[in-house]
Amino acid sequence: MSSAKRVKLDVPEQEEQPFIPILANELLEDTPLTKVFVGKIQDSKSISEVIKSLNLLLPIPSLAHLKRINKQEVLLVSTSDLAKDKIYEYLETNGFNINLLYTDFREVEVAKIAPKTRLQYEKVQKLWPCNFHPDKYLEKLVTNTLFNSLEINVHKTYMSMAILVATEAKKLHITEYDSGVVVVDPKVNSVVALGYSESHHNPCKHPSMVAIDNVAKTQSGGAWKSYEPIPDSSNLNLNGCHPKLFKILLKKFPHINFGASKFQIDHEQKEPSDPYLCTGYYIYLTREPCIMCAMALIHSRVKRVFYGKSSDNGGLGTLYKIHVIKDLNHHYEVFRTLCENKCELVNEL
Amino acid sequence: MSNDANSDISAVITLADHEQYFMEKAFFYARQALDKQEVPVGCIFVYENNILAVGRNEVNKTKNATRHAEMICIDEILKHCKENDLDFKKMISFVDVYVTVEPCIMCAAALFNLNIRSITFGCRNDRFGGSTVYDVSKVIKPTTVVKGGYRACEAMELLKDFYKGQNPNAPLPKVRIKKS
Ligand SMILES: [Zn+2]
Ligand SMILES: [Zn+2]
Repeated sequence: MSSAKRVKLDVPEQEEQPFIPILANELLEDTPLTKVFVGKIQDSKSISEVIKSLNLLLPIPSLAHLKRINKQEVLLVSTSDLAKDKIYEYLETNGFNINLLYTDFREVEVAKIAPKTRLQYEKVQKLWPCNFHPDKYLEKLVTNTLFNSLEINVHKTYMSMAILVATEAKKLHITEYDSGVVVVDPKVNSVVALGYSESHHNPCKHPSMVAIDNVAKTQSGGAWKSYEPIPDSSNLNLNGCHPKLFKILLKKFPHINFGASKFQIDHEQKEPSDPYLCTGYYIYLTREPCIMCAMALIHSRVKRVFYGKSSDNGGLGTLYKIHVIKDLNHHYEVFRTLCENKCELVNEL
Repeated sequence: MSNDANSDISAVITLADHEQYFMEKAFFYARQALDKQEVPVGCIFVYENNILAVGRNEVNKTKNATRHAEMICIDEILKHCKENDLDFKKMISFVDVYVTVEPCIMCAAALFNLNIRSITFGCRNDRFGGSTVYDVSKVIKPTTVVKGGYRACEAMELLKDFYKGQNPNAPLPKVRIKKS
């Protein structure tokens, strides 16, 4: 037998994620608690009889996520439903064999709703046993372990491109401000459109708004004409990229694809996979978008947003988290502080 | 009564004659949007009692989901100011907006940031509303006065007609208008 040390090769090292997800408060906060009365079962042999009987006499549908039994204790009723001194009487008059329980009841705090994350689960589990069905994807998201090192490098590359867009657009007098946006279609791994502020022309032309309109240009749409698009030379559509910026980016990022998948104008031939607004797209921004832009990205059905530096008027973490508003019909994921320091430097130029 | 003097959007409101006239115009453009298979929202920007811009949703036409009636009107005013060498920032702060549906979160933020003088709308926007779904005024502290509830049922009916035609399986937008 070889005495050589076995080297573990199959376990990939957990990569440090250079950004943090901006999550809904309900995922970050502790599970809300509520108070219940519990009783103690005299003989552990009668546990199943007690459960059966109580489920019939005193079901608690609002606390279905809780186990009825904790060792030899049993969950009786929510404190808001029955006073402590009425429990005995209630059980007895409803035909429960009261001799199965000790007569003194105890008030305990338990999870009011089912925990959503493992962290939340582990906390409330200590109070009273609880059902938990972990959502694998959500766990990765909340523990910030969603991406492997290869994917992280891709995100970093696109963000460094957004930074270059910011600096070059200013040099070219396309913008007067320092912010850059890159819209990527991860399905074909290609840069679909670029964005920058044109608010010196129009106060609504924030970087995201410009980027969204530039995406529309790749789908035979668009409302703001600000450059002559590059004629198609391949099977990808370059209408979303300002030609002057495109030339520079192509040189600096020779291994990156540019252009959007071809858009079918004819509705009859439309495939489900054809581009529709910004569906499925990732967007990389040097600055956190404002409330208007955050909502514009909801309307546009973006899939993921990565941004560098927070903004005072930001709508994705600073003033509010527009992307997690429950009532909206679309939600995207947000990650912040990607290349934050470099993005900050851009803003100081 | 709402304790916020700046906004009263829960009541059914009655408007002065000239305001009713502007809302009628807004409805005209909402119906036009429906004819063009766009979400039926119509909007009018008024400056010193003159209609300076009209707009309706153009999302499908432009393939740009942000081309709402309000955004189109903002662009119109901007064009008007450029052509006539007028101060846009100053002018827009005296503009009164008449729109058939409560502005969405995006448009509310845009209008508040421009210090629009007032917004008068028809029905609430239960899907995206800038006060119904998320109250933008909490974070952008606007000077804009907002009131809504004029011909709300009619505005909502237009939306229902659109969503019915759009996708027979799509759920109808919830009607949530307080009765007086
Ligand atoms: Zn913005
Ligand atoms: Zn809107």
